Amino acid sequence: MTPPLDARRLDTLLRSCVSCGLCLPTCATYLATGDETCSPRGRLLLLGEVMADRLAPDAPGVEQAFETCLGCMACSATCPSGVSFDLLETLNSMGRRPTVGTQLLDRPGVLRALHQSGGAARSVLRRTLGDGWRQRLASAPRPLARLSRLLGIMPDSPEADHALLDLLDRLTGLRTVDVTLPSPPAATGPRVAWFTGCADAALLPGTQRRLGEFLVGQGCTLQTVPDEACCGALAAHTGRPDRAADLRRKNLEAFGPLLQQTDHLVVAASGCGHELSRHDDDLARRTLDAVVLMDRLAPSDLGAVPLRVAVHDPCHARHGQGIVDEPRRLLRRIPSLRILEPAEPHVCCGGAGVYGVDHPDLAAAMGRRKAQHLIDTGCRLVVTTNPGCLGHLADALAMLGADIPILPLSDVVWYAWLRGLNERTTP
Amino acid sequence: MVTTRRTASNTNARRDPLVSALRRALGADQVKDDVAARLVYSRDASHLQLGRPACVVIARHASAVARTVALCRQHGRPFVVRGGGTGLAGGALPPDDAVVLALGRLDSLGEVDDVRRRVQVGAGVVNDAVSAWATRYGLRFAPDPSSQAAATIGGNVAVNAGGPHCLKDGVTSRHVRCLEWVDTWGRRWSTGHCSALTRGLDLRGLLVGSEGTLGVVTSAVVDLQPVPRSSLVLLAEFPRLADATRAVVKLMGSGVVPQACEIVDRVMLGAVEEAFQQGFATDVDAVMICELAGIPEAVGEDARVAEAVLMQSGVRRVQRAIEPEEQARLWNCRKQAFGAVGRLAPACVSMDVVVPLARLTDLVEGIQTITDEHGVKVATAFHAGDGNLHPGVQFDDRDPDQTVRANRAADAIIERAQTLGGSCTGEHGVGLEKRHLVHRQLDPVALDLMRGIKDLMDPENLCNPDKALPARELVGRGHKPVPEGIEFDWDSLTVTAPASTPLAELQAAALERGLWVPVGVAAGDGHGPGLAGEMTVGQLLSTGTAGPSLLGELRVRDSVLEIWARTGRGDVLHAGAPVLKNVAGYDLVRLLVGSGDLLARPLAASFALQPAPAAVSMWVWPSTPVALSVEGRQDIMQVLRLHHAPAMVARERSQDSPSLWVAASGRDSAWDLGAMAGLLETWSEDHGMPRPVEVRLPRAALADGRLTALLPAWCRTSPSWTLLTPAEGRPEWPRPPRLVWHTRPTVLWTPDELRDDPVGWRSDPVIRDNVPQPPPSPPPESPAWLLAGLRRLFDPSSTLPCPSWLEQILGEASP
Repeated sequence: MTPPLDARRLDTLLRSCVSCGLCLPTCATYLATGDETCSPRGRLLLLGEVMADRLAPDAPGVEQAFETCLGCMACSATCPSGVSFDLLETLNSMGRRPTVGTQLLDRPGVLRALHQSGGAARSVLRRTLGDGWRQRLASAPRPLARLSRLLGIMPDSPEADHALLDLLDRLTGLRTVDVTLPSPPAATGPRVAWFTGCADAALLPGTQRRLGEFLVGQGCTLQTVPDEACCGALAAHTGRPDRAADLRRKNLEAFGPLLQQTDHLVVAASGCGHELSRHDDDLARRTLDAVVLMDRLAPSDLGAVPLRVAVHDPCHARHGQGIVDEPRRLLRRIPSLRILEPAEPHVCCGGAGVYGVDHPDLAAAMGRRKAQHLIDTGCRLVVTTNPGCLGHLADALAMLGADIPILPLSDVVWYAWLRGLNERTTP
Repeated sequence: MVTTRRTASNTNARRDPLVSALRRALGADQVKDDVAARLVYSRDASHLQLGRPACVVIARHASAVARTVALCRQHGRPFVVRGGGTGLAGGALPPDDAVVLALGRLDSLGEVDDVRRRVQVGAGVVNDAVSAWATRYGLRFAPDPSSQAAATIGGNVAVNAGGPHCLKDGVTSRHVRCLEWVDTWGRRWSTGHCSALTRGLDLRGLLVGSEGTLGVVTSAVVDLQPVPRSSLVLLAEFPRLADATRAVVKLMGSGVVPQACEIVDRVMLGAVEEAFQQGFATDVDAVMICELAGIPEAVGEDARVAEAVLMQSGVRRVQRAIEPEEQARLWNCRKQAFGAVGRLAPACVSMDVVVPLARLTDLVEGIQTITDEHGVKVATAFHAGDGNLHPGVQFDDRDPDQTVRANRAADAIIERAQTLGGSCTGEHGVGLEKRHLVHRQLDPVALDLMRGIKDLMDPENLCNPDKALPARELVGRGHKPVPEGIEFDWDSLTVTAPASTPLAELQAAALERGLWVPVGVAAGDGHGPGLAGEMTVGQLLSTGTAGPSLLGELRVRDSVLEIWARTGRGDVLHAGAPVLKNVAGYDLVRLLVGSGDLLARPLAASFALQPAPAAVSMWVWPSTPVALSVEGRQDIMQVLRLHHAPAMVARERSQDSPSLWVAASGRDSAWDLGAMAGLLETWSEDHGMPRPVEVRLPRAALADGRLTALLPAWCRTSPSWTLLTPAEGRPEWPRPPRLVWHTRPTVLWTPDELRDDPVGWRSDPVIRDNVPQPPPSPPPESPAWLLAGLRRLFDPSSTLPCPSWLEQILGEASP
């Protein structure tokens, strides 16, 4: 675990900030508000004053400054003096008082229930309030507004294969047959323990199944464990380090024996990947992002997908794990696919776990900014690798009235793989 | 602004009436006065502290700025403008109870005008964003301070920001055409039309570098430069720092103009290497990063010359970085060096002293002595080609003894630079940090005038008070006698000359060494002012242009480093310093150059010298049709714009001898003048014209009149010249019977009096009957009160020339 920051270490870290201000334009909250109080430099200054007892933590404006931090790490990644993520963590733990709702969200059962009832709830709301139901509910009493926000940003990707094929065929103008997958090759690839992740497993079951098919098809052996726990990211981000530590311990026990027999612990959601990899233990050493694995497998059997695709990097992949080249290299393996890069690729979309529930207006403003950059690329499709970004951006794109779907990157790779099979079977 | 969960909305316990008024006027979401905001906005990127503001206004529109300023004035309260908060001299620190005007949200980007290469941007636009915006047109904004990822255009304008790549392209002042600003009464103004050659009282020049003490700049029209077609970075390791600085002087004198030439010293290298692990050698005293950019062939030739120079200068190893990614990585390291020194010590006094190039080694040795004497650690990054150094004195601000020693050492370094004829600040500004030192280099008369300007524009001292200029009790101590003869400093690449010096004489002497003042070529045969032949330095300064020249025309104001002048009060002022970057005090140099003696009569000036073109070609078409087709005109303009240096076209449209002349400079290589000759031949064929006759001559011909003789007589001897500059819109090439056209900036000269101004062009009679004329009346949007006030300040009893428009303004503005 991250060692608890004693006052001395905190002081040293704070002192490494030279206040140069290079972090400001990377910070989504600063860009959305224009207010330096809600910028990394401002927050560190306030944190230093609080630590030195010159400022009360509940003084006006201080709490807001701390709790609006997304924890996206864009500032840490930019900082030339190496101001550490530990500071953000401290900041977060000081600012965030988790609401009951957000506390519940890192429980798989709750997520599954949300997924099962969420779709129905959304269609009921759409039917009763029209397409602008989110905007209408934004001014509703707070609990209702938050619930509507949560429903709005619930990640969604076609669960059934044919639904995904229909969607992508419509965009590409191709006709893809859902061929019977060939029996997997002899397991020559890496042996992989799979960390399914609560949000991914509960909210994107189709995507997860297809990723599994693809990995097996590339020669990997996959193993899951029945008693996998939440990675603890949400708990850590909402100032509950004890719960985070507890969850980690459970995962260490659950995966312990398996880790010795496998090459990697593969995680599809970059939020979980970052949380798992940032400690110093067996889990962290084996953790590998699914995109990195797919890139390393260097699939050569992908078919052409003539589509303009904008790539959105989740913060926990880009800043947390330095995953930038891998998704692009992987997509370049798909013939005819054109990769487009939006402006401000380093700025958070505002998804950030449950941020959209806690700060609906701010998150929506960030989402719109990001969605506009994505629209400006002229893309037909957006891909990303984090369920949080997926739901939040789908919502933002919809609010701007753009007919641009957003999909998990692995679904597009799966589609290209199927295209490859189609190309070979239908001359 | 979006709102989030509110803990306590309004918080200034004592209910400040100004804050309440601002809230009423602007709405609560633009005004913040909670403890957190007041604390955060009381600091910036400097290590300094001043006071605690009453509130912060996060303005979303220029009108909000104007209302805020007006309310502050009404309440008699100070206000301080802030952009990205990246200033290193404390210029944006508010005094107690001030209002901070945060302009980060004035971030509108206008449409890029790719023909004229300019764009209008809000003051809050981040520097980087301008280049990113223009990149699809193959253009970029040249100033690139290391903080460019966060620094805003408004801040760049306030301190006349530079950056590594300003060595070739010049600092912010050169790239700002026009400013929109709010005066201290809260009225909105523009500095006027954006013509290519500005003559007259240059309020824009006065505002640039005034550190937000004269008004609030809300937007700027900036010039964009083409992104170089290719570039190459040389990375040279020097075991000894003094060898590196001497190598810079040699390199700059070799005729190569690098895009950037930086040095990083051993201490800084250590920090950068620790931060970025780029594989920099850390066992040498200095690493030089020298970027060459332009046409690929030119870059190749320059690289060979530069490497040869470096190899003779004590270098251990020179490497080439060719791949763009590799170059980008190197620059990223250099630009984040300031942040990386955060790893060395908790605090740092970051300076930006600048000295004449020839004094660079002296200053470096001086810094070493001072470092030893005061027992401090100094990490230095240099914009070496500009003579601009960033020594950073490292210290721990918790240790009072270290703090005192660090500040003393910093003061000693600044004084050393001033003693060497340099300036205390090249790009950070005086701010708060150098107020106690700047008077040492300022001339007493000039300092009085600067204070007069401040009193005139901000009589109640509310606009960023007590910054930029020294405290009132300090008297200027930087007296410098008026030079009596031409004096070249070849190592520093500067020349000082009295006003009576014929420009031709100055240029001829410089050309002998392969240098010139880039204001147009003077042919030494005395063929009239039309070709700058008989113009004096004084006339050049006064008119702000050298008239039509053989090789295109660059703005005089961009080459003048310091100026001596006699004001209407009869006293002699000296402003500026013989250095390439200088933000000490207000920019009187820019205000006076081209002002037509309305404020002071120039007595002498120093100019920056640049390598003159190696060769010149003249193409002559003995017979061309009377009327060139529209396509023909457009095509030849296109050909000439493709050339890497300015060019000239002379055109005569008469029944007797319809003809065309083209002159261009270059390096006499297959890829430049050779390529141009090919393009012009193709153009002739395409438009049914005979092939031109070409005469190609070495640069010495620029001084002896050989080339001038090839031009028609009217071109050489016309007693009157009118300057035409394109106004707004996209004008057609006007068709007076005779004209001289310059490609960069795009201007036309006609030797005859224009009876009717062609539509879409502005005319300015520059030379009448062989006498340089004063500049035309300022655009109507200029603040008359300011023009009148400046005139009264410099010339209270009106002894200097007073054109009719000024008389009218003075009459209207009189009390």
